[in-house]
Amino acid sequence: MKNLNHGLVKRKKRGRLAIAGVALATLVIASCGGSSSSSTDTDSSARELIVARDMDINSLDPSRTYCDTCQIYMAATYETLIGLDVNDPSIQIPRIATTWEANADNTVFTFALNSDAKFSDGSSITSADVKWSWERLMNIKGSASYFLDGVSSLEAPDDATVVVTFAAPNSAFLAIVSSTYMSIVNSKVASEEGNAIAASGADTTDLAEQWFFTNSAGSGPYTLESYTEGDSLVLVRNENYWGTPAVFPKVTIKQVKDASAQLQLLQNGDADIAMQLSFDSISQLDGNASVVATPKDSYNYVYIALSPGAKGAENLKDPKVREAIKLAIDYDGMIDITVAGNGKKQASPIPNGFTGSADLALPAQDIEKAKALMAEAGKESGFSIDAIFPNANVYGVDFNVMMQKAQQDLKAINIELVLQPVEWAKWSETIKAQGIPITAVYFAPDHTDSSQYVQYFGMIEGSSWAKRAGGGAAGTPVSNPTEKDLLAKALAAGSDAKAGLYTQLGQELINDLVILPMVNPQLVIANASDIEGMHYSACCNLELGKLTLKK
Amino acid sequence: MSAPTSYWGLMFRFIFRRLVVMPFLLFGIVTISFAISRFIPSDPLISIVGERQLNNPVVVAAAKQRWGLDKSMFGQYSSYMGNLVKGDLGISFRTKTPVVGDLIDRLPATFELAFTAMFFGTVGGVLLGVLAASRRNKFADHVSRLFALVGSSLPVFWLGLVVLYVFYARLGLMPGPGRLPPRVDSPEHITGFYLFDAMLTGNFSLVWPILQRLLLPAFALGWGLMGIISRLVRSSMLDELQADYVRTARAKGLTERIVFLKHALRNALLPVLTVSGFSIASLLTGAVLTETIFSWNGVGSYAVAATRSLDYPAINGVCILGGMIFLISNLVTDVLYAYADPKIRLQ
Amino acid sequence: MSANKLEIDTEKRQSRLSRVSNVAKRPQVAFGLVIGIFWLIVLCAVSIWAPYDPLEAVDSRLLAPSMSHLLGTDALGRDVLTRVLFGARESMPIAAAVIICATVIGTLLGAVAGYVGGWVDAVVMRITDVVMAFPAILLAMAISAALGPGLRNGFIAILIVWWPIYARLVRGQVLSIKQREHVEAAISIGATRRRILQKHVMPMAITPVLVNATMDFGQVVLFLASLSFLGLGALPPSPEWGSMITEGAKNFYQWWIAVGPGLAILTVVLGFNFLGDGLRDVLDPRSKGEK
Repeated sequence: MKNLNHGLVKRKKRGRLAIAGVALATLVIASCGGSSSSSTDTDSSARELIVARDMDINSLDPSRTYCDTCQIYMAATYETLIGLDVNDPSIQIPRIATTWEANADNTVFTFALNSDAKFSDGSSITSADVKWSWERLMNIKGSASYFLDGVSSLEAPDDATVVVTFAAPNSAFLAIVSSTYMSIVNSKVASEEGNAIAASGADTTDLAEQWFFTNSAGSGPYTLESYTEGDSLVLVRNENYWGTPAVFPKVTIKQVKDASAQLQLLQNGDADIAMQLSFDSISQLDGNASVVATPKDSYNYVYIALSPGAKGAENLKDPKVREAIKLAIDYDGMIDITVAGNGKKQASPIPNGFTGSADLALPAQDIEKAKALMAEAGKESGFSIDAIFPNANVYGVDFNVMMQKAQQDLKAINIELVLQPVEWAKWSETIKAQGIPITAVYFAPDHTDSSQYVQYFGMIEGSSWAKRAGGGAAGTPVSNPTEKDLLAKALAAGSDAKAGLYTQLGQELINDLVILPMVNPQLVIANASDIEGMHYSACCNLELGKLTLKK
Repeated sequence: MSAPTSYWGLMFRFIFRRLVVMPFLLFGIVTISFAISRFIPSDPLISIVGERQLNNPVVVAAAKQRWGLDKSMFGQYSSYMGNLVKGDLGISFRTKTPVVGDLIDRLPATFELAFTAMFFGTVGGVLLGVLAASRRNKFADHVSRLFALVGSSLPVFWLGLVVLYVFYARLGLMPGPGRLPPRVDSPEHITGFYLFDAMLTGNFSLVWPILQRLLLPAFALGWGLMGIISRLVRSSMLDELQADYVRTARAKGLTERIVFLKHALRNALLPVLTVSGFSIASLLTGAVLTETIFSWNGVGSYAVAATRSLDYPAINGVCILGGMIFLISNLVTDVLYAYADPKIRLQ
Repeated sequence: MSANKLEIDTEKRQSRLSRVSNVAKRPQVAFGLVIGIFWLIVLCAVSIWAPYDPLEAVDSRLLAPSMSHLLGTDALGRDVLTRVLFGARESMPIAAAVIICATVIGTLLGAVAGYVGGWVDAVVMRITDVVMAFPAILLAMAISAALGPGLRNGFIAILIVWWPIYARLVRGQVLSIKQREHVEAAISIGATRRRILQKHVMPMAITPVLVNATMDFGQVVLFLASLSFLGLGALPPSPEWGSMITEGAKNFYQWWIAVGPGLAILTVVLGFNFLGDGLRDVLDPRSKGEK
């Protein structure tokens, strides 16, 4: 089974999060100006751009989208208050908001909107639209609705100001605002023509999802022309765009399932961009002057999870055993086998490039120490344990291959992994019902703040993996109250303190010995050689509006 | 009322009886497919909500409520049946659009492919069968019989891969997978059959490219049918050649060829018609297996995607549609056969 | 009386033997026998003399066919030829199990339905009607999707799809035989229904069942491969032919990955088709054979 099931959600990637405060924003504004310059001409003779992709679109409704391809769509047809610099995701740039600031304890966030900002129908973007869009995101209760958890008030005191107040400090909020899922929707058009509802109860009363399959109501460089599931997603240039107009008058994202088919289209010139090629393709495209393929670092990773609290996982209760497992894995070999060397090791569940990932020790194989630990735990004769994992191929990593390699590696310390690949639906049923001793999953970030990793992977009450691993509450096999305290501090911290706090958190997560990152795979990006500005964006996957043609 | 004895009376009773039974059969199909999809423990929530939000109670509760997954099994069944009667097959978990709409959008693609394959299979089969019968036990006969046999024994999805590889990837003679050339828009939608739409809208430059792209998948699908029909035609014709009327015709001095074609072939065509009609089921199966290979956006690839993501409404919808197509095509074939051959009793 | 019976018996035996050898000499049937024996040997002995392990990576990935790897290596560096041969051990036992169970269930239900008649017949026939109104692949897909992939669930799915064919077949046979004279004669003597069924009706009904079962063996292997191709049958890393063809589709330019399994399926379907033909000619030479 290749890739994810349709409807299953993927996440986007984000860069390192330093601080993007008002000062930096002012600098950036001063240097590049708020709106478009007149230097670019809309080149109507530019060809139609064709992107070959295995689309995983779960919805085109801004409050319901939650997938990789959705990010590309949203970034093209909608806009957020704050954007990320394409080349350095730690730099936040103004979009619909000209300035923004957080108060001292990160509970109140104020945004000033650009009066020039316009929707595709020519109407101005006001704070009412921001309030409406974010309220709808909350009230539709889709998968990204958690972004606004803990909001105590969302006010629009005047047309150009938005004030968001949190009950508890939330230093992640500015990063969250740059995520495409926080895009601003043309509330008038959506509610009048699409019957979209933003008020409380929208999850049962709103019926606009169908309308969004044929209309976009945003302010981005493109608008939606048509979407044919299983076939194509067609965007046309927004001629009323208030920023720098896009170069390509039309973009078609074509549904192409196999990486080899994508490669073929690219080579024939029938597609201009392909982003899901397999690692062999790079060598296949070597001699071809008309196509350029480059591997790029990503923030996604694949991990193995140990759940001491699961049924059948008694042997994992001793942390020495879990550490032995960690030390027995041949990480270099794992990277070779799964992604042909196009990947990196990762220290903690906070991925390479995020705040708190630097300065932590990368995992390394040490069989002798592993054996010693097993002996100390009294398990040198080893044991057999169930490894139920999803039968998936994600970001180029085949889970079957990865688990077989792990199985091989663990033989050295006499642990027998009983492999059982299952479908996602069965996996989710099993992990909910009784937990799974050893399993494999992947993670792709929703936004560029490291808090999401602690909230998801930390052994604190309420976190998903705490529930699955049997941790969280005090007295359970794995619980780590330090993480809770550190997280609270980090969410209240100013930008300078964050790095240190998240590094500590990273170390705590490593010490939990529940989540073992295996591979941080690279992504192969290939495009026709006359396309310029090709990138891999931390927030948005690929910002179509930023692509140009070589002169 | 005494039993009808007139021809049309019998015919009417025949069709009527079949039509009356159909809803019950469909009801059976619906119930079985519903039961299959709901009674086995498997969690569709993961396709709807995503792995990351599985433990988010608010999101999960909202999703369950929206998709009716919080109702009891019986509750789900009754609301499904209630909607079914109104012609509503529910909304697909995966595409988030109504299943009926999804199927209607995709039917023309599958039908275009299936009918082309049927055409290939039937015409090709007849020609091959005539060739084999006329050159009985000679080399041409053996070759065509082998060709026919191999066709019905090959896995159709493998055949699709092979012809694509040979004729597209290696020889470059045929275009690649997909219904249309890469940078071309589909013709204006009238029937959904690209060939007809292109011709009806005067877009004649598209006709040949569309036809080209139909050739490979239709061939892969149709070879099996070609095999069956050629064997049928061959044995039928060899039978007919013994018949009295042929001898009589020969005695009257008509040339060999006219005897052969006119009489033998015409009668041999009757079973061909039947077999062709009944081949819909296997063509549908073939479509399910080959559409993904040829990037054909039809009902087959929809069915595959639905089963992969446990999209219950879509799975049920495809089963019902498949059952309906099957039953209706069988009925039509039976009627045509009965009409064409008055000797057959309509019981 | 007994002496004549003896004569008739030896005559029957001799003519049956000569029939078998005549039939076996026909090229198609000979081909079928060769195929059958070949795969039987592979089934039993491949784990002994196979050059490589079908589940282990033995060389670099995606190597073209060469002397050391006659069918090259696949995306994980495993020898393709070895996997093709081991694939027989995945699909053929399951196919045999499906055929046996379908035959047994179908025969029992069909025989009872045909012989007893009445409401029993009606119920069984309606059930087979509904099951057969489903296009087989869709029903099997729905069942496999619900149960989850894996060969065991594939077995269940195909069994559910296949048994009505035999029920119908046997019922039809039983119905036509019921009318024949010797059964009426037995009834007139006062034999019980069960005895009649056992000694008179069943033996004559068995022939088409056996023939059909033999020919169906290849079809079931094909069907199982189709399910695996769709991702619903065998799970990786199992070397089932259908899932190998899926891998071949993913590595489209490495043609050697898909060629082997496809040819294997072809030989099995063809071979058992011919064997079924031959079997029919041996058991019931009165039926129409090939011209």
